[in-house]
Amino acid sequence: MPLEIKDVDAYYGSVKILDGIDFSASHGELLGVIGPNGSGKTTLLRTISRILKPKVGTILLEGRDVQGMKDKEFSRNFAAVPQDTTINFDFSALDIVLMGRNPHLGRLELEGEEDIEIARRCMELTNCWHLAERPITELSGGERQLVIIARALTQEPKVLLLDEPTSHLDINYQIEIMELLKRLTSEEKLIVVAVIHDLNLAAQYCDRLALLHKGKIVSLGTQAQVLTAENIKNTFGADVIIKKHALTDHCFVSPVPSLLKRQNKNEAELTIHLICGGGEGASLMHELCERGYRVTAGVVNMLDTDQEVAKLLNIPVVTEAPFSPITEEAFQAHLALIDKANVVVLCNTPFGYGNLKNLEVAERALERNKPLLVFDATRIEKRDFTNGEATKRFIALKDKGAIMVKSQEEVLKLLNISTLFDA
Amino acid sequence: MIKPKIAYFNKFIHWKMVMVYLIAILCVTIVLTTAIGPVYVPPLEIVALLGNKLHLCEAASIPHKYDVIILQIRLPRIVLGLLVGLSLATAGTTLQGLFKNPMADPYIIGIASGAAVGAVFSMLILPGFLFIYTKPFMAFLGAMFTTFLVYNIAKVGRRIPVDTLLLTGIAVSLFLGAVLSFMMFVAEDLHSIFFWLMGGFWLANWAQVKITILPVFVCFFLIYIFAKDLNAMLLGEECAQTLGINVEWVKKILLVFAAFITATAVSFVGTIGFVGLIIPHITRILVGPDHRILFPASALVGGIFLVWTDALARLLGEMPVGIITAFFGAPFFIYLLRKRKGGHYFT
Ligand SMILES: Nc1ncnc2c1ncn2[C@@H]1O[C@H](COP(=O)(O)OP(=O)(O)OP(=O)(O)O)[C@@H](O)[C@H]1O
Ligand SMILES: [Mg+2]
Repeated sequence: MPLEIKDVDAYYGSVKILDGIDFSASHGELLGVIGPNGSGKTTLLRTISRILKPKVGTILLEGRDVQGMKDKEFSRNFAAVPQDTTINFDFSALDIVLMGRNPHLGRLELEGEEDIEIARRCMELTNCWHLAERPITELSGGERQLVIIARALTQEPKVLLLDEPTSHLDINYQIEIMELLKRLTSEEKLIVVAVIHDLNLAAQYCDRLALLHKGKIVSLGTQAQVLTAENIKNTFGADVIIKKHALTDHCFVSPVPSLLKRQNKNEAELTIHLICGGGEGASLMHELCERGYRVTAGVVNMLDTDQEVAKLLNIPVVTEAPFSPITEEAFQAHLALIDKANVVVLCNTPFGYGNLKNLEVAERALERNKPLLVFDATRIEKRDFTNGEATKRFIALKDKGAIMVKSQEEVLKLLNISTLFDA
Repeated sequence: MIKPKIAYFNKFIHWKMVMVYLIAILCVTIVLTTAIGPVYVPPLEIVALLGNKLHLCEAASIPHKYDVIILQIRLPRIVLGLLVGLSLATAGTTLQGLFKNPMADPYIIGIASGAAVGAVFSMLILPGFLFIYTKPFMAFLGAMFTTFLVYNIAKVGRRIPVDTLLLTGIAVSLFLGAVLSFMMFVAEDLHSIFFWLMGGFWLANWAQVKITILPVFVCFFLIYIFAKDLNAMLLGEECAQTLGINVEWVKKILLVFAAFITATAVSFVGTIGFVGLIIPHITRILVGPDHRILFPASALVGGIFLVWTDALARLLGEMPVGIITAFFGAPFFIYLLRKRKGGHYFT
């Protein structure tokens, strides 16, 4: 492996900050370092870039110990972009970028054509060539970051180390910089080690992730291996939901709604059953849980948004195989849930032959004297894919005493008047 | 998009032009200031004499009555002025770059006071032990000692914040001022110390020029070698380190050189304040922050400035030149302090 970090311990004074760090990275790899504040990410980069000397362990680049390199030679191999760069001097952007040529030039040597050509290429790569003549003091934070990255590239390094290159930047620059890093690894075969705070950004762009906690690497591998709810809980102490991104299949981290942590009960102790599917019940499930109602749901197909949300919210739910009609077995299970509920809500779900049984179950609920709230937001004819069968049954529900509602707010309001529905 | 490339090389041409202009101004300065003094010497006479001496031309008739004034009194004084101006400006530029702080100046951070104590000590206690080099040597020791004292007191962790640096410099300067006062109190030859302390060129002679010129130029060149390193260090020390610069080493070396060049200047002409503060500033406005041009340009500007202030001092009845530079410098320093509140340090 070209870059090998072998069992490195690093100290500030007598305080051990890095503890047995051991990993390697190969050419063309974008390695993301993640971890909570103070976990030692910056320290790790400082150690690799030789600002901090490891007390134990070695760092090898293509088999050579970096401690043995001369200063200039080292800086021809490693370039670093620090966490934040403030420059109070009226250097032009090009001046700054050309400083990256220092390791290649003699002390009194002026930059020549060739150096300026390299600077231009790097600035074009980072999309900041048009800023070349502007004073660095007058650039925005994002533009300055592009210039600083261009400066690191003009060193023509084999390893590029970046400390939170995207913090303080807007989403546009974040994407621009991450795509640039991706390009640098795949096209220029650089080894890039980047500390990235935004877990989703890290998941989307990094080839591998290293999760740092209290100076140790607790997990190293692909984003799917590293970004698990358990890992995040253990290191960051935060409850998160990990989902797959619909388009890219990358992990997607979002915080768990606070209610799951509260887990308080609604005073009324009402159990609300949602007959849903097609994603129509998801937001109501969340709202109800938030208010402390006990919620159940059925029958939904696996992979349906409603099913996923129910799972996240820990709601008892009757499921059916993907794209399959509701079986008798599921129907019975569904009835059992409805028996336990105080109120039943029929969501604004479209009906086909597969889920007609969900309308039938609503009828049964009425027969068992369960209060039934029926969403009538979209006209039933429009969501009837059964040539009128569903419409017929739907209208029958109305006649049998279902309460028609137009919106979620209305449902919540009705539930609030708890006298209507005695527990 | 070829434009910035050409502009970049224009920068080097611009640098050369700046140097040509400054050298031209320097030549004019030498001639004009030689003319100024209690006895007026016509500038043409000076040009003729200089041309003759440097074998540039064969001037026909030169009245010899000005020879002594020009060659033995005014010229050594002017050359020494140039060297001292160069030294102070270079020391100031170095310190300002090192500390990333426009308030750094050999006087304000106490280097010069240290040199003064060293020099006065040598005048009092051991006049002859290294012949004519005694005073410069002791001044250097004093400057070095003070530099490292201030540096280590002002250091917070690995950084040297502006405010602690200035405060430490002031405190150490006050202490050294007390030491100086004490030495003057016990001294027998109060007069020479007193005049020396006020700073002036009236005792300038070729012997002083001879022993100053080589160390000053060597030291200037050695500092100049680090111009690119100083540029990179303006981006932050860790940044500089990743550009292959051994920052801690460069800092120490440059502090030693700055102390050395200050001590050399101070030991012959006494304490002349504020040159090292103002000159780098003004030059930075003229040529930008790049130390590769800032060093030579501020050296020339410093020399020119000091020679003119000294000429003014001559006209004002041999007033100590330190008084004049302080008259200009102190208000300038206050101006900088006020500007700093806005947050921007340089230019
Ligand atoms: N110069 C220093 N001297 C002493 N301790 C330090 C120093 N720099 C950092 N530390 C300590 O080392 C630990 C790791 O710091 P580090 O900067 O590496 O964290 P980090 O992971 O980069 O955090 P963040 O996400 O906030 O940037 C912290 O506990 C910090 O207090
Ligand atoms: Mg950090």
